[in-house]
Amino acid sequence: MAVDLTRAEDPLLAPVGADEPVSAGTGPYRLAFQRLRRNRTALVFGVLFLLIVVACLLAPVYANDIAHTGPNTNHITEVLHLGGRKVDVVDPTGIPTGPTWHSHFLLGADPNGRDVAVRLLYGGRNSLEIGVLATIITMVLATVAGLVAGYFRGWPDGIISRLMDLIWAYPAVLLGVALGVNLALGGISVGPIHLHGSSNWIPALVIGVVFVPYVARPLRGQVLGLREREYVDAARTLGAGHLRIMVGELLPNLASTLVVFVALQLAQSIVLEAALSFLGAGVQPPNASWGTMISSGVQLITVAPHLVLAPGMMLIAAVLSVNVFGEGLRAALDPRAAVRHV
Amino acid sequence: MPSPTAARSITAAAAAVALAATMAACGSSGTKTSSSGTGGTTTSTSGGTSTAKQGGTASLLQGSFPDSLDPQYGYTTQAVEADAISYEPLLTYSHTNGTPKLIPDLATALPQVSADGLTYTLNLRSGLTYNDGTPVKASDFAYAIERMIKLNWGGDSFITNYVAGASDYAGGKATSISGITTDDASGAITIKLSQAYGAFPNVLAFPAAALVPSSTPMTVESNTPPVGIGPYTIKNVVPNVSYSLVKNPGFAKFNIPGVPTGNLDQINVTIESNNQTEAQQVLSNQSDVFDPFDTLPPALVSQVKSQAADRFKTTTVPQSYYVFFNTKTAPFNNEVARQAVDLAFDRTATARLASGFLQPACYFLPPGIPGHPTASCPEGDVTQSPSAANVAKAKSMIQSAGLAGTAVTVWSETKSPRQEWMQYYTQLLNDLGFKATLKVIANATYFQTIGNASTNPQTGFADWDEDFPDPSDFYLLLDARSIQPVNNENFGNVDDPHIQSELLKLEAIPSTQLSTTAPEWASLDQYVTQHAFILTFGYQTTPLFTSDRIDQKSIVFSGSQGLDLSSLALK
Amino acid sequence: MLRFAIRRFAAAVGVLVAISILTFLIFEAIPNGNPALRLAGRTASPADIAAVERTYGFDKPIWVQYARTMKEVFTGSIQSYTQHVTVMSQIKRGLPATVSLAVGAAVIWLLVSVVLGLVAALRAGRALDTTITVVGFTGISAPSFVVGAVLLYLLAFKTHLFPNGGYVGPSTSIPSWLHHMLLPWISLAVLYIGIYSQVLRSTVVDTLSEDFVRTARAKGLSRRRILTGHVLRTSLIPLVSLFGLDFAGVVGGGAILVEDVFNLNGVGQYIAQSISSLDVPPILVGVLFGAIFVVLFSALVDVVYAALDPRIRLQA
Repeated sequence: MAVDLTRAEDPLLAPVGADEPVSAGTGPYRLAFQRLRRNRTALVFGVLFLLIVVACLLAPVYANDIAHTGPNTNHITEVLHLGGRKVDVVDPTGIPTGPTWHSHFLLGADPNGRDVAVRLLYGGRNSLEIGVLATIITMVLATVAGLVAGYFRGWPDGIISRLMDLIWAYPAVLLGVALGVNLALGGISVGPIHLHGSSNWIPALVIGVVFVPYVARPLRGQVLGLREREYVDAARTLGAGHLRIMVGELLPNLASTLVVFVALQLAQSIVLEAALSFLGAGVQPPNASWGTMISSGVQLITVAPHLVLAPGMMLIAAVLSVNVFGEGLRAALDPRAAVRHV
Repeated sequence: MPSPTAARSITAAAAAVALAATMAACGSSGTKTSSSGTGGTTTSTSGGTSTAKQGGTASLLQGSFPDSLDPQYGYTTQAVEADAISYEPLLTYSHTNGTPKLIPDLATALPQVSADGLTYTLNLRSGLTYNDGTPVKASDFAYAIERMIKLNWGGDSFITNYVAGASDYAGGKATSISGITTDDASGAITIKLSQAYGAFPNVLAFPAAALVPSSTPMTVESNTPPVGIGPYTIKNVVPNVSYSLVKNPGFAKFNIPGVPTGNLDQINVTIESNNQTEAQQVLSNQSDVFDPFDTLPPALVSQVKSQAADRFKTTTVPQSYYVFFNTKTAPFNNEVARQAVDLAFDRTATARLASGFLQPACYFLPPGIPGHPTASCPEGDVTQSPSAANVAKAKSMIQSAGLAGTAVTVWSETKSPRQEWMQYYTQLLNDLGFKATLKVIANATYFQTIGNASTNPQTGFADWDEDFPDPSDFYLLLDARSIQPVNNENFGNVDDPHIQSELLKLEAIPSTQLSTTAPEWASLDQYVTQHAFILTFGYQTTPLFTSDRIDQKSIVFSGSQGLDLSSLALK
Repeated sequence: MLRFAIRRFAAAVGVLVAISILTFLIFEAIPNGNPALRLAGRTASPADIAAVERTYGFDKPIWVQYARTMKEVFTGSIQSYTQHVTVMSQIKRGLPATVSLAVGAAVIWLLVSVVLGLVAALRAGRALDTTITVVGFTGISAPSFVVGAVLLYLLAFKTHLFPNGGYVGPSTSIPSWLHHMLLPWISLAVLYIGIYSQVLRSTVVDTLSEDFVRTARAKGLSRRRILTGHVLRTSLIPLVSLFGLDFAGVVGGGAILVEDVFNLNGVGQYIAQSISSLDVPPILVGVLFGAIFVVLFSALVDVVYAALDPRIRLQA
């Protein structure tokens, strides 16, 4: 489980600039940008991630113009003609064909006779969409929680911190699965908004909430330090309201930390989505995600390894590229990361 | 692997299971009415005195542990298989392959039924003792039934719905069941029903109705199963790990005709939740028997067929898989819509999704149940994909009925391959012009969800596995009287006057006369398929797979009664 | 100090109570999840269902059910709904596999990441460092169940070098135990090797520039002495606290996926199966079991930190 990656104790992720706040001026960011531009490894992986995103966005084009089949179209009893060879899409004992390396069933079929390559791209859309939504949910909730707890201290801090303790101590995978199973069965209704059980918002919400403490805790610590600074005192003396101070003075100083966390959370959320799907609490069938594809493919791995390898490799490539790019971003934003030799 | 050991919670199989080999000339014509043809057929092993070798120890692997080894609580097939040879009821089934037949077990004869069908009279054999030597008394029967109700056995509605005073006892309004009277001195047992129920003798053959001493605690004894009377005793229970069945040599002296006394001295049952490992162990002869109710991994099917052809075969189980249609709401209140879907449904696709362990079919009553129609299917040959013409016809039927574009929610449980079947079915509905979406529900709440009136499901997956070999057990699911707000088993709310009048007539006839009513059941079943009240797409087939040491010829597997463990013998 | 410790532990108990209530409510709220419906069987009439509800007390108000369940949890008598066995006996059965998995994987990830982290730091900025970093990030990015499934496919199904999952205890046979556990250990360790080697690399790089290192070098101490005696010892401190929490996380449920892939029948797998059958008692016990580990270890870490650094108390 990759969950522990975001623990605040990890110096890799230590709140950036906690002791030397980056002002909102352009200087530090331009510097960071220059550093990032020099980091070729980070750029290569950043481009790789963009390519994956673009490929997934173009899924309908691939499906219509190249594979000529949809992500949920079954071809169970059909026969493929591959250069004179006849191949069952799914043989009578239920084993799907492996990669054909032709436009039809490029990466093979799944037991329902669906084109794995097409599902891989559509599944990527779901995995990435859930990753992005979950990251937004985590960042928004954690920023609010961190700001309020760190700025007001006292009882708001007490309540928020205990709440964070609760989510944090709840075994992440179990919390995700427990919530996911429940919500997928019933959907959620909050006032006028109703989320259908098969909506991508449900896994996104579950994952987003699970990760809040991992981000909120370091943010709170950083705010605790920042609120004692002179410019905050100055703003207060000038009669600025709490909201003004939090949004106008504190938030800009958290920006670089937030940027680093965004990349990290995106990677984490994609992995947790896969884990939840593996335990049956993620994207609802017949829609695919990389996690559900891996999960259903594991049972057939001996005879149809492509069912695990294709989505597994895509998942690792996407998460790896986000992680490496995020690390590059962190290094660029953190001047202390300069390499020092013995 | 998401649910490797989901207990196969079927309303399984009463049925004491025992050995055919000792049954002299009990000629239940054992040839199976039909078989999947995937690999050999099961043949009758009934015949003269046991030719099976006596003695020895064998090991049996099972994917999941019985829900409980207590006979008055165990409900899954794994539980029934063990309890059936350790706890004998008043009646049991012939221990042969093929369609089972009721025979007396601890009772001296089949019950005498009064003319109004309400009073059943039986007599307990004399001189019976439990495996620990305690004498068996007639009153133990009443105690066992009360215990089954108190422990909330999964099938206790067969008692509480029919035996006079049983629902009062269940509701705590009475301290005993008024409808059951027993006389320990004479061994007489009288059962009064509150309404006539032709299939009632089958209820007396459930292992849950097996006798236990009246001193047995009124609590579920899973780890230390109660004392019983039978050819084997359950010992060394380690929950979720293993248990043993040890032969009770004393059982042979009771000489109960047709009830086998067992071949092996001991059967060691071990849980192996990984089917791959389970199959490999049997293939390499490290273990002796693969549980027929586990899934043989598709990866190993061809290997098993080539390397172990002489110790592997498949057999059909009377379990029907079908799609239910809600006959009360659009679009499937329209018979045309149901028939169109039935016409275009590719049953061979569902067979492939089941790795071949499904026999494509169109009738609800499966082989092994009296009344299974032998007529050909109205949809055409269901072992072939539907023709392009039929699919086109189905599309135009839906078009002209003005139903194209109707939104349909398909319900499914998560279990494989059921979920894959419904993914296929959802796509089929879309191809035919509906706007179908799939709703997948956790196994544990699936039937409760679709059986809840507030869900009012349009269509989805359903199955039925016999409680006992009687067509009325299946027609419970199409009986308008079964419709209830919760736990409704008539998922499609089928309420058809012809079905109702036929059921009223046929169900009153005692199940001992089934051979005469079978043709009428068959024509009722054909009527159901013609009007597509449900879409039956196949019957389950299971592997009978053993090590080299086991004598395959002696194995008895009679439909949903499961694997008869007392028939196992070494070569 | 004592007051802080007591307050911290009181808060931890509060969190555990809240977690148990939350778990209870989550499963109570599942639509059509009334366990009486499952226990009564498919053919049950409303009267049968009512009888089951009475027997199990499902007809009582939710807080009464909660109180009774928690009492049974603490007396250890709580039984699963689907199988009439005590949950504790099943947890006890799964614990050896789970502990074997966690301890073995932890040994591997600590050893490997110390070596990798140290090498990367000493070669900082060079090709070897970049390689180790990319490998480390691949480890962080590869979900354990994918690694496990692929290892099983390659080394068990294809080449038969390793058994196809399952657990054999060290008391049965130590070589067989190692044989069965090696792949699960690797699958689980890969992630932590990625994290720990990166953490160690960056702390070692930082430490190397500290004054005391320069002093030591000025004193003419050998490179090896400086590295093992000063740098590594200082750099391991953050790793130790990180380890406490990760180890607790793994024992307390983090290893579910690996247990599942390798079919180890550990505690995690038992809980995962209970979730799929919506069997509340084992889920409740399993979640509490996991949370206790996490809460206990984090409280311990807090207390130790507070002892080291008095300023922490202000924030608590």
